[in-house]
Amino acid sequence: MITKYTSEIFDVLRRGQFICSNSPNEEIQTLYRVLEDENTFEDLHAYFFEINYILEHGNEYFYFSREEKNVDLDRKLEKAFTWIDILDFFKTFDSSFDVGFRFTPSDISNQLKNNADLALKLDSLKKITGDKKSHSDRIKKIIERLERDNFITLQDEISETYKVLTSFNYLKDIITAINIPEEIENEIPK
Amino acid sequence: MNTFNDIKELVSTLKREEKLIAEMFSKRKAIDYKYSDAIELVDNDENRIDFLIKRSVIRENGGCLELDDQFLDFFEQILDVNEEINLSYIDENIKNIKENIGYFLNENNETRRYSYLKFIKKTFRKIGIITLRSVVDIRRNIENTFKNEANYKNKQLKLENLDQKRNLVEKLIIQTLLLIDQEELTFFNRALDEELKRVIVDMKFQLRECSHNLIEIEKQIIDYLNQIKHQGKFIEKLRKLKYLKDHFTIEAETDIKQMIAHKNQVIFEKRIPEPLNLSLEFIRENEKVFEVIKRIARTHKDRTQFQPEIASQISSEYLENNIEEEVMINLEEVRNQFLATSDNLFNFIMNYDFLKQVDFDERVTIFCQITSQYERELRVEEDFQITNGVEFALVYPK
Repeated sequence: MITKYTSEIFDVLRRGQFICSNSPNEEIQTLYRVLEDENTFEDLHAYFFEINYILEHGNEYFYFSREEKNVDLDRKLEKAFTWIDILDFFKTFDSSFDVGFRFTPSDISNQLKNNADLALKLDSLKKITGDKKSHSDRIKKIIERLERDNFITLQDEISETYKVLTSFNYLKDIITAINIPEEIENEIPK
Repeated sequence: MNTFNDIKELVSTLKREEKLIAEMFSKRKAIDYKYSDAIELVDNDENRIDFLIKRSVIRENGGCLELDDQFLDFFEQILDVNEEINLSYIDENIKNIKENIGYFLNENNETRRYSYLKFIKKTFRKIGIITLRSVVDIRRNIENTFKNEANYKNKQLKLENLDQKRNLVEKLIIQTLLLIDQEELTFFNRALDEELKRVIVDMKFQLRECSHNLIEIEKQIIDYLNQIKHQGKFIEKLRKLKYLKDHFTIEAETDIKQMIAHKNQVIFEKRIPEPLNLSLEFIRENEKVFEVIKRIARTHKDRTQFQPEIASQISSEYLENNIEEEVMINLEEVRNQFLATSDNLFNFIMNYDFLKQVDFDERVTIFCQITSQYERELRVEEDFQITNGVEFALVYPK
């Protein structure tokens, strides 16, 4: 036992979740503070390494990765594609959708009324929304997906306000890391 | 151009057209304030509007009316709602001060000197207030631009321009302080005026506050500009990736495959359920477990119950007490009775009343049993007799 939070940390990270600095959840915040201590981090890193988990420190968040390949490439690609779709949708909704951004499902619904682009994008997200008919149901599904992957979280149940977590930086890093060769970049219409 | 004859006329005119002016001022952002709308606010009296136009309070432009810039500026300044940051104002004031300091130093007449001094004090006071207001304006404008400007390029340009204004304010502050602390030392030494000193102290205090604010604003602008730069780039990249993805060429034309292949984050993994067996110890010892079992059992109430197969009833006959008696042959008793007689054993047994039916073969067996068991108490003769085809020795009691 390195700290008295070791098992809690393990429990959160093992599920593919992030421990974010701006989480409204107080428990997660405590865990973040524990991990922030460099010595504890190093100890825990060594500790989890023994059981094949690599504790990693991102920009304001912590997560697990693994040495061995537990997932096939197709599944990873599919997940990355879904993220690209969802991100594109949210950035169309509001270009300042980023860490710390707050929104409610009804904000998106309202935007849909006067943003045809957004409505089109929502339609094309069938893969995630399934065969849900109403806009609000579809939006809910998309939000759920992003919430499940732990990039946003419900901040206020009464006003249904969601908050973008620092783990969003992880998504951004992935997008930034993908390299588009220049000659192809020039062919993409702006 | 007609102007107002005196302040009284101006004030009373403004008072009289208060409704129209207030309305036009509140709608100043929407440029097209129609003549027809205005006429209703002046009781359909065209002359009143004409009067205002002649006095340059409002201007007419192709059926639309607007407040004259001079009045607009005046109202905005006074009401502290100006959005434009006019820095030439401060610059001009500094120049004015310098000029008046010159006049002050040259003038020998006390009264005139006093009026120059008064002007200088007024201007210093003004500089403090205007600078502070400019700083507040810059801050508000930056926030507004960052949050509300939809066009990215314009947002960036506007912020850069605001940054320049911030620079200018900073320079003006330095210039003002320079004027007080170094350039015009003679004047400040000569003008021994308590009020001037107080005004200068107040202004310095305001300017210092402004400087602090400006530092903060600079930070904010840098941060915003960085964010815009980063976000703009990011969105561009995202759109490109989305385009490639939607055209199914993303895998071939980018290195997404290689990149993702190296990512082994747990988030990519499927959630594998971990079937763990419940600890028996836990079930036995934890008090809550029983509660949980009961609760779960309640939710399964509608489950079809398996009826155990019941055997048919046991008939009452089997349950009754049946006594069966069997008469056993007591060899001891037979021997005792035999020893009391003088008959031979075979004869005795053949005629013995056993209280039940005993056939010949059995009687022979009993004869053999007694002969062999009580051999010592019997006397076996050499003679033989035959009855029913059975040859037997004659046996007598000793």
